[in-house]
Amino acid sequence: MLDASSKNQNQHETMSGAAILIETLINHGVDEVFGFPGGAVLNIYDELYKHRGKIRHYITCHEQGAAHAADGYARATGRPGVVIATSGPGATNLVTGIATAYLDSSPVIAITGNVALPLIGKDSFQEVDIAGITMPITKHNYIVKDINELEDIICEAFQIAQSGRPGPVLIDIPKDIQIQKAAFKGGKARPLFPLPPINQSSIEEAAKLINESKKPYIYAGGGIISSRAAAELMAFADKIDAPIGSSMMGLSAVPYTSERRLGMTGMHGTYASSMLGAESDLIIGIGVRFSDRATGDKSKYQENTKILHIDIDHSEIDKNIKSYTSVIGDIKEILPRLTEMVDQRTFKKWKDVAAEYKKIGKECSRGLNEDGLHPKNIIKTVRQYANDDTVVATDVGQHQMWTAQYYEFTKPRTFLTSGGLGTMGFGMGAAIGGAVGGKKRSILFTGDGSFHMNMNELATAVMHRLPVVVIIMDNRVLGMVRQWQKLFYEEHYSNTTMDRVTDYVKVAEGFGAAGCKAETMQELETALEKAFATDGPYVIDCIIDKDERVLPMIPPNGSIDNIITN
Amino acid sequence: MEIRKFTLSIIVMNKFGVLHRISGLFSKRGYNIDSLTVNVMPEDERMSRIIMTSSGDDATREQIIKQLEKLHDVKEVKLI
Repeated sequence: MLDASSKNQNQHETMSGAAILIETLINHGVDEVFGFPGGAVLNIYDELYKHRGKIRHYITCHEQGAAHAADGYARATGRPGVVIATSGPGATNLVTGIATAYLDSSPVIAITGNVALPLIGKDSFQEVDIAGITMPITKHNYIVKDINELEDIICEAFQIAQSGRPGPVLIDIPKDIQIQKAAFKGGKARPLFPLPPINQSSIEEAAKLINESKKPYIYAGGGIISSRAAAELMAFADKIDAPIGSSMMGLSAVPYTSERRLGMTGMHGTYASSMLGAESDLIIGIGVRFSDRATGDKSKYQENTKILHIDIDHSEIDKNIKSYTSVIGDIKEILPRLTEMVDQRTFKKWKDVAAEYKKIGKECSRGLNEDGLHPKNIIKTVRQYANDDTVVATDVGQHQMWTAQYYEFTKPRTFLTSGGLGTMGFGMGAAIGGAVGGKKRSILFTGDGSFHMNMNELATAVMHRLPVVVIIMDNRVLGMVRQWQKLFYEEHYSNTTMDRVTDYVKVAEGFGAAGCKAETMQELETALEKAFATDGPYVIDCIIDKDERVLPMIPPNGSIDNIITN
Repeated sequence: MEIRKFTLSIIVMNKFGVLHRISGLFSKRGYNIDSLTVNVMPEDERMSRIIMTSSGDDATREQIIKQLEKLHDVKEVKLI
């Protein structure tokens, strides 16, 4: 006689671990994954083959590219990005990608194969303790040791990656677990974990502080985008009549057309954002972590101002900067409640100050060759070929800062950049993820240094016919490091003058893409005409001056008193 | 800020690598572990209680507690 539970079990179909994985992914709405096959994931790839009508796999050239692509996909769509890699080197190749996602709170699900359970701990071929390695750079991770736990673990991984502050989760699945069979319960997506209720008195206290302020300043970050609260931010800013400075991660949350927009804050932030931040009497940090690159000298940063900190992650409060008061919870819920409680204000004088600083900011920090193929002109010209939804990725360095400074972002989730970890080589994978997730042309701004790190993924874009326009700001040096060497290391250009003879047009052609070189604005325009009409990747090698600097600059651990504007 | 010793009681799920997660968090964030004991909870063997002494100023202590609370396998953190 069957008892109730075993009868219930019999109603479920029995499946292999690999099939449970793929079915559960599909039932979580995953129809696109990135990865690279290998010995320890052969069973998973066999299931991908069988499910190829429902789930599409994008193979990259290197697992790092796949991890960045999954991250870029997550950032562009707001849905989890999934990456699959084999054991050992396949898994370790994901590490930089996972750390990049972790530092920027991006919901990535990384799935690795591992050697069979009896071989674990024996230094077997392609065995590595990837769960141990990725513990400090994931929200959570798993080694599946019992096939009966696999389905629950996958469902829970999706919950963890997306609940509260998002982040990457890794699931390591030994090969024998992929082969063993268990009852499949349907692999349905589960509701996200609830957040603790928002403390009403903390909102009241915040409202009181805001109402007392005469020079409020909003510092908005990536949390605005994660919480989908760009409209709520604007309504709040309008009511208290405050200017908005953005962290790099938060740039796309404030449309460039908004009068309130000051642009980026911090080391390479705009003059206006730095000056207003320093002169404000209340900094309202929303979805930011007050990183060292954003604040500089922390004692100076809060010398004359109070800090109100609003964030979903309670550990961010008072971590980097001591707040006067704070509100913990989902910004999308907090901001409307706060907006309702604060007084409608108009600060004519404060607004005039903002306008004045914006004007000064435009006049200072002029580049060396602003009439020619200058980064600012390149970025502004490329923008004219894009539309408001176009996803823009960058690598890391000067080109990244120029893009943050000059590209006119209009919509959230259109700027994919490695803010926290600062990963050179992020861009090519991210732009691929952006093109796949956005289902349209994406743009990559890169430098010749960064592009050399993962240019192999150009082959991926060709293979999957992904229209990625690659703009290389080619100065033949590692420009950002060189800038620091010029300013702080007596112009000792140690290992930053590359003078590589790489022919990027031939590189593009070699990979099966097209490309051309641009030395003048006119050549750039001609190239962009072609690039935006090409069904696949297109590389434009823009020759720029190696001594062009990113300005303004507040030196590390400096303050507004140390700002360099020319 | 004054450095003081303090003791934490941490209830964790008895899952793979949980001690590694806790000790890893301390080394990653530069906190000290002065002593540590782990015992399976007699009332529920799926859980363990970790008693840990550490030292730091008030801000560090608050950060340690908050960071521990974020770990998925940590169910409760108490200052004792």
